[in-house]
Amino acid sequence: MNLLIVSKLARSARAINTIAHYCRVAPQLGHQIAVFGEQQLDFPDIRFSMDVAAFDVAVFVVYMPSDFPDLPYLANLLDGVPKSRRVIIDCSGRYNDTIRIEHDFNHLEKMDGHQGWEWIEAFQAVADRILQPTLTPRRDDVQPFLFHGFDPNGCVRSEAAAAEAAQRWSREERRYGIAYVGHNWQRWSQMRRFLEAVAPIRDELGQLALVGWDWRCRPDWAVQLGINGANVDPDLIERLDVEVRDPIPSTEVPQFLSAARFSPIFQRPLFNELGLVTNRTFETFLANTVPLVMLPEGLAEAIYGPEVHPLVPDEDVAGWLRKVLDNPTPHWDAIGRVRQHLAAHHSYTQRVSELVALLGQ
Amino acid sequence: MNILFAIERRVDAGSIQALAHYARIGRQFGHTFAIYGRHDPRLPEMVFSTDVAAFDYVVFIFESKLDWISGLDLVRLLTLVPKSRRVVLDADGMYNPVLVFDGYDRNHASERERTRWAASYEMLADRVLQPTFSPRQPAVWPLLFYGYDPHSALRSVDAKRVDVMHLGHNWWRWREVSERLLPAVRRVRHELGDICFVGLWWDAPPPWAAAVGQEAAFRVEPGRLEELSIYTFPAVPYRDVIATMSTAHINIMTQRPLFHELGLVTSKYFEIFAADTIPLVMLEPRHAEQIYGPAVRDLVLDGDIGGKLVDVLRNPDKYRARVHAVRAHLAAHHSYEQRLDELLATLAGQWTESTRERSCA
Repeated sequence: MNLLIVSKLARSARAINTIAHYCRVAPQLGHQIAVFGEQQLDFPDIRFSMDVAAFDVAVFVVYMPSDFPDLPYLANLLDGVPKSRRVIIDCSGRYNDTIRIEHDFNHLEKMDGHQGWEWIEAFQAVADRILQPTLTPRRDDVQPFLFHGFDPNGCVRSEAAAAEAAQRWSREERRYGIAYVGHNWQRWSQMRRFLEAVAPIRDELGQLALVGWDWRCRPDWAVQLGINGANVDPDLIERLDVEVRDPIPSTEVPQFLSAARFSPIFQRPLFNELGLVTNRTFETFLANTVPLVMLPEGLAEAIYGPEVHPLVPDEDVAGWLRKVLDNPTPHWDAIGRVRQHLAAHHSYTQRVSELVALLGQ
Repeated sequence: MNILFAIERRVDAGSIQALAHYARIGRQFGHTFAIYGRHDPRLPEMVFSTDVAAFDYVVFIFESKLDWISGLDLVRLLTLVPKSRRVVLDADGMYNPVLVFDGYDRNHASERERTRWAASYEMLADRVLQPTFSPRQPAVWPLLFYGYDPHSALRSVDAKRVDVMHLGHNWWRWREVSERLLPAVRRVRHELGDICFVGLWWDAPPPWAAAVGQEAAFRVEPGRLEELSIYTFPAVPYRDVIATMSTAHINIMTQRPLFHELGLVTSKYFEIFAADTIPLVMLEPRHAEQIYGPAVRDLVLDGDIGGKLVDVLRNPDKYRARVHAVRAHLAAHHSYEQRLDELLATLAGQWTESTRERSCA
């Protein structure tokens, strides 16, 4: 099957990594995938095409309004590909009634000017089928499709045995005690709780790092629009001497996280509520680090399998971290088992096959 | 007929004023005009709607920017309104070959950009209109679009604050201003009172000009204005344009070279004659007469510009008589009632040579 992915690409955000993996894996399965548009030098490994007639299905990967192409390209697509051969992957739950969780919404009218009904009407106008990367869509007319996946060959270091990995992990110098890569968008309330929890053992852990947009201060646009989704407490960041860094390309995330002893996996409250997964759900397990799975337990188990529990901290995060530092082997054992589970159930090969099967239905 | 305008909302530039007039006149004759989108408190007199099915036509108004429509809006407009009911008003003459005048003003930076604009228009609509008597492209329909509203004319504003005003943004105007207007003003500066320029970018180019490759469009030498004691003031909202112009004895209208060449008219053509001022227009005399009628000859700034400014201040009554005559011509030939008829005829496909002649008469 020939699939044309339609989305706005960014080097350090949204689905770039996932799309790159699809492009890599598809030919191995006898399929072709390209991204709609002219070749972009920023993404040399991705094939681009404007030849809409050469594809069986146009797959719109949508996070925000700008994921729909500009003129005249959107018109080309809508004219050139019948609606029955268009599908939307709704990555952030736009195709739902408006949901608010803390400061997080699926419809951010203040930012993009669009109310919920506009998203729903536009999606229905574009495609006959809408997929969401969750196991539990809320609407009957949405099909579950996780979209993002795990690349078993992408692990920074594959250890043969947990004991060996744990030993190396304990022995090796690490630049960071804890590092998190992700933008400060709807994550501060979780991050604050986390930082406050680890504060008592900050010196034992080593340097903390936050990598992504808007961890230094609340951006002006958020202040002007009265949006709390990018809140941050610079005093807390300073007090804990957290190293704040600009975003890095998605391709560099596993390597970067491998310089940290621990790496938490956070998601937006909205995503936790809707059970939506992202590429970060999977790629933290590629890094040579101990992931702290900060997702709701049910979601964590559904994605990572039952072996994930040793990687889900309890209420006493600092105590949990100490426990791992003292005896990392059970946790590295869990990491190995989760990686096996991800390789068996969430590889990109599997994801592409699932998508093709869905589209062929 | 019900007509929906899709336009980038700019309160201090562009075509918004004209839309307010269409809405007002339309109500009198049983037509509904609205702007696509939700209510905007900056435009209190406008009707807004997102119910595209309730309208017979959608008129897209493009000025100098192509990418102002949100992807989500574009999806709705492209899928819910058939192409035969979509029309483009090409206000800035972008639907032309790449045109460069005097190595300075241009409609497109490159052939590639032009191709994209043309393809966008052609995908969007079956018909492209331009506010000129003489479009260069055979497929373009002429429709002046902007008009004169005798009722908004201010007749007696006693408190004149300045002798000479120029109201308009510094957008491809510096060459004409610096090479023709300022040298003329310098020669008679001692005979003139206060002079001011009202609008954006007369004090400095916007910080993003270089980033978008538009340094030439915003070029300005503020020192040359200061030398002549010319004040600059910020732009005013569209509803204050006529009142602001009315605070000056003389208002000068300049136009970017591209518009001169293409004979494109703008709202300013008509607003300046609605103000209680003596308008002096820096237009090609034949073109000025085509719009304003023969009485405008004495109000065209051509030749001895400095001498004209001084003469107007010394003999205002003589020029006021000319202004009254031009107003009568505008009321007879360029009222919004007439523009409405022309627009409706165009949308209905009834625009003919005789209509053009009537408009030109």
